[in-house]
Amino acid sequence: MSLNREQIVSILIKIVGADQVITEEEVLKESSVDRFRRFEELHGVYTQPLPAAVVYVRNTNDVSAVLKLANEQGINIVPRTGHTATEGGLETIVENSVVLDGSAMNEIIKIDPYNMQATCQCGTPLQTLEDRLREIGFTTGHSPQSKPLAQLGGLVATRSIGQFSTLYGGIEDMVVGLEAVFSNGEITRIKNVPRRAAGPDIRHVIIGNEGALCYITEVTVKIFKFMPENNVLLGYTLEKMKTGFEILREVMAEGYKPSVARLYDPEDGAYHFSHFANNKCVLIFMAEGPKAIAAATAAAIEVIVAKHPECVKVDTRYIETWFDHLNWDATDIAKERSEIVETKNIGNTTEISANWDKINQIYETCIKRIRNEIPDMTLVGGHSSHSYINGTNLYFVHYYNVVDCKPEEEITKYHWPLKKIIVEETIKAGGSMCHHHGVGKHRTPWIKDEYGSSYYILETLKKAFDPEGIMNQGTIYPRR
Amino acid sequence: MNVLVCFKVVPDLDQLSGSDWVVDGCSRVETRFVKRMINPYDESALELALKMADQARGSGVTLGLNSLTIADSGANLTLKSLRALGYQEAVRIEADRDLEFAPEDVAALIAAYVLSTDPLELIMMGRQSGVGDNAKTPLLIAELLRWPCITQVIAVEKDAAGTYLVTAMADEGVVTRIIEPPCVLAIGNAPSSTLRVPTLRAIKEQSAIAVKTYAAAELISTSPTLPVNPGAELLTLEVVNRNRGGLIIEGADATEKAQILYQSYLKGWLAEL
Repeated sequence: MSLNREQIVSILIKIVGADQVITEEEVLKESSVDRFRRFEELHGVYTQPLPAAVVYVRNTNDVSAVLKLANEQGINIVPRTGHTATEGGLETIVENSVVLDGSAMNEIIKIDPYNMQATCQCGTPLQTLEDRLREIGFTTGHSPQSKPLAQLGGLVATRSIGQFSTLYGGIEDMVVGLEAVFSNGEITRIKNVPRRAAGPDIRHVIIGNEGALCYITEVTVKIFKFMPENNVLLGYTLEKMKTGFEILREVMAEGYKPSVARLYDPEDGAYHFSHFANNKCVLIFMAEGPKAIAAATAAAIEVIVAKHPECVKVDTRYIETWFDHLNWDATDIAKERSEIVETKNIGNTTEISANWDKINQIYETCIKRIRNEIPDMTLVGGHSSHSYINGTNLYFVHYYNVVDCKPEEEITKYHWPLKKIIVEETIKAGGSMCHHHGVGKHRTPWIKDEYGSSYYILETLKKAFDPEGIMNQGTIYPRR
Repeated sequence: MNVLVCFKVVPDLDQLSGSDWVVDGCSRVETRFVKRMINPYDESALELALKMADQARGSGVTLGLNSLTIADSGANLTLKSLRALGYQEAVRIEADRDLEFAPEDVAALIAAYVLSTDPLELIMMGRQSGVGDNAKTPLLIAELLRWPCITQVIAVEKDAAGTYLVTAMADEGVVTRIIEPPCVLAIGNAPSSTLRVPTLRAIKEQSAIAVKTYAAAELISTSPTLPVNPGAELLTLEVVNRNRGGLIIEGADATEKAQILYQSYLKGWLAEL
């Protein structure tokens, strides 16, 4: 027999104390959604079942005790730290879910400059860690747009990536070791070693699990020397995305590692660079690291770009100003929220990846289809911001006016059909439907298509680590 | 046309970092490298006019809207976007020199345009701009045209009688007046006035239609009065240090910190009041 809300709350209070269990309706409403449903939320409409409680855990033992209870009683758990998710991963789609919030576990446990690694609790804001590291001349190398708000646990759980990824890699390249708690309350620690060949790399069961397999409580990441004085920024305008992709490919294929390698289409470029883009594509690089490497990388990129006469170099100060305003903070979020309410215009993004030989085709097909098929669009464009030896990502940006529909219909009328076009075209071309925001709850309909025959492995992980299905139902895996 | 809304495209000064606020020897802060935006007060004016047109349409009245800027051709995209939003006309005056600190000349150009076009009922514009922040232009236009001017306007509606209901902030609070046109409205901190966004389809429909452009020299010859002696002349710029002091109150808990805040700071200030 399942517990009712009052019983769940009562037991939670016994486990972690009354101060840690929040049941105020406003908190529960805000905790039933993430940014995917912000149009509804901004209009005071909450369509998801409200969780029974939000529990602010203080330590790993709290997490273990709550998960053990949930596992025994069949209570759905939604793990959370910074609450910046964009794909519905934090939606409480099951009645009487418990949101397990780790943001109070925010201690930087150890910074170890000799072994070049830092260990933090899951609720440590990335900005806090980064600020501490920079005071002593180091950096995480991780700089997602959400850096001022996102916390380490969530960043690892969603396989986050940052704007300097072409040099430093995604979070999966940075994580050294972890502590995580599984659905039965089992606390596991993966030690911090440079590399090992002792079987499969089990870190990857945890990294990117989106709270569907376990709860991340502690993270150890690599750190790097911070040498911004050596940074070299380069910017160009050009006519065609195809040329931009070719340049990105050549830079990667020739073995250069700029930290930033970004290509904007004219629409997305106009949004960010209207003062110089002049309706053209924009290509941006930043070389960093030791002075000689940064200089050599920048020089080599200039040689590669020079082969394409359509590229026109822009004054570096344009790029420097852009670079100084990369991230979103609470002020930006507040401004965005008021603008959405006033204008009924809302923007979202969908990020995918594909090999070099397919990326331009995906870009052109998706842009064309969205323009033709989705009503009331005010902007559709995109940029590539993370490149690899065998391909790159595309970050589609789509804004629309919400017209003639209720707030709760915005997703079905606009957002979901948009995402469907991008996801289906990407999978059809052999790419991946999720580059760095995670699957959440709104790309699960395509998860089997994404994985093909390898879905067996993904499915078996769920059966093994969450046999009762209490971990963030409907995220990554379709709801049972 | 019933209403002319004047606007200015300006650099987004929030994007300037502290080190950018360095005067480069020619009486100018370098803003070329930051994004452009519609001056926020002008943006409010543009949106209030659209709201007024929506409201009038609901009452069966068609309100003709015209938009005007003094800028180079880089502003054409904004003007076309305004047409896509419902402005029937979009006009650009091409200046032959920098008018950033010349509100008298800006006012003269706008007044000359107003006198050269069909009769208007209202001119709306932001009360000031972050760049060349003089807060004089709407008042000067009113003076040149010999129209009344209402400042700090936060809302405007057209009523069935052909008059306008203008709501403005005043020292004593919020005042709503019924006015007979013509009038210049200087828009202040109007709530809920973020400019709406045109659809791609609407922009496409406007993209091939040219923006009506005037040369400043052509208009200025018809200006009612040319200022002979501007009230102010920019001689130098200097950085004003506006840093605020700050103190972190140390205490065992929130109660203790609140006590310290009250006893050490607020109590004295309140007593003075």
